[in-house]
Amino acid sequence: MAITEKITNTMKPTFWEGHIPVNYVYTYGHAGEKFFRAIKDKGTFLATYCSACDISYVPPKIYCDRCFTKLDRYIDVGTRGFIETFTVSFMNMDGSRKERPRILAMIRIVGTDGGLIHYIEGIGPDEIALGMPVQAVFKPKGKRTGAIDDIIGFGPVTRGRK
Amino acid sequence: MGYRKVAIVGAGITKFVRRAQETAKELAWQATKMALDSCELTLDDVDCVTLGTAPDAFDGVHMKGEYLADGAGAFRKPYMRHYVGGGTGIFSPIHGWFHVASGMADICLVVTEEKMSSCYPHPQGAFITIFDHTTEQPLKPTLIWIFALEMNRYMSTYGISKRDIALVSVKNKKNALDHPSAQLGGEITVDDVLNSEVLAWPVNRLDVSPASDGAAAIVLASERVARRLTDKPVWIDGVGFSLDTAYWATRDLCYPTYVENAARMAYDMAGITEPHKEIHVAEPYDPFDYKELHHMEGLMLCPKGEAARMTADGVTQRDGNLPTCPSGGALGVGNPIAATGLMKIIEIFLQLRGDAGKRQVPGKPRCGLAQAWGDLMQVGTVVVMRI
Repeated sequence: MAITEKITNTMKPTFWEGHIPVNYVYTYGHAGEKFFRAIKDKGTFLATYCSACDISYVPPKIYCDRCFTKLDRYIDVGTRGFIETFTVSFMNMDGSRKERPRILAMIRIVGTDGGLIHYIEGIGPDEIALGMPVQAVFKPKGKRTGAIDDIIGFGPVTRGRK
Repeated sequence: MGYRKVAIVGAGITKFVRRAQETAKELAWQATKMALDSCELTLDDVDCVTLGTAPDAFDGVHMKGEYLADGAGAFRKPYMRHYVGGGTGIFSPIHGWFHVASGMADICLVVTEEKMSSCYPHPQGAFITIFDHTTEQPLKPTLIWIFALEMNRYMSTYGISKRDIALVSVKNKKNALDHPSAQLGGEITVDDVLNSEVLAWPVNRLDVSPASDGAAAIVLASERVARRLTDKPVWIDGVGFSLDTAYWATRDLCYPTYVENAARMAYDMAGITEPHKEIHVAEPYDPFDYKELHHMEGLMLCPKGEAARMTADGVTQRDGNLPTCPSGGALGVGNPIAATGLMKIIEIFLQLRGDAGKRQVPGKPRCGLAQAWGDLMQVGTVVVMRI
């Protein structure tokens, strides 16, 4: 066996500090441009659909990953979904405790095979269940920038809205 | 199918620790040297080297393969690095297998190394970059979440409780007490697991493997050379690997189809038709306790949704009918990503040779399997071995 000693204090061996100075500017891509513009301007989700494989993509893709067909017809699929699975997160990324736990869920958008990962708002950890219907809650139109955080989260379904 | 037979003839492994004094290269050298010594070879005998190591961001060196080359014994040799997330360590022997099975090399050194502790305060900072930068990273995900989402889906689909799942952690950490490399071996109870800190429900701290530093290495040889080197070559009889889409929110997480695809590929090659009878000892990947169960099902070692019952019945204990993770697994030995997979390969190598010491499963096992999983719930890698 190796001679390595068991070190439980990670800062015990002598160390020096480093960091990597990198920043990024990402493009949305062709499908992403349409998806996020629909969120920003209309407060709705778009999908693409492959008729050969009978599968729909949310967020949309410009190709079908099964058959590689080009997909260029965008369908408004509304903002409702149901909870495929969820977790209640108690920790921040650095290992510290969150002030209040946050619920994160995988939401399957109604009528599609696609889904989004996002926060759940307005439903408590004791009330939430798999299969529960939810709908997207957006920031006010004027404050949207065309990004995933234009969606505040998914909350209970209210009457009237699609 | 025109492949040459390939055997494992030697192995080496460092201790798995939370923080190693050694640099990444020194860890790689320790394991590699140990593997060569175990079969009385020197670097001159080695035709080529393959290296498995996980994200460059752990070390902050964006040419990690090249960086580690000298520690891995690749000085002026043909050398390639491979990386498929957590599935890397089982892809490592597959990558080496190509070199020998194809006739390119007679002796191939396969090295895996991970030093996660350099990434400060925790490698979660690196893990966030596996998520989609536009749709997911802004939500500040941690790696724990995707496991929590999958675990919840798995539990809900099959009606499995946290108590059923905790048994895996209890078993593996106990098994690890007998592993000289182990970081987190221990006698714990189901209640210890259930009462440990909740990280992201349903995941508690003791459901999770640790971040670790460590390295492992094996020596692969062609049939002609292997028979000269050892009386107990362990043959790689089947290899399989499969990737699902990183568009993971479109899938049902209750079943790992990609693991089944990889297993079918490996079983076909090894001529295995009834895995639950023909596999005598298995090392499914267990970065989280429920993952061992999830993977046993994907590997078709039991019907879907039945792995928890098998565990509760003691079938997967070392003296059970189908021992799983007799090493102690990632939960007990530790989880230096790429090195974990190769640790599992080494465990099956030792078990089949009857050299596993206190960890030896009874009944002279002749066929074993190791599997790993990785990336966004999408990678399955499987190796079937026989003595």
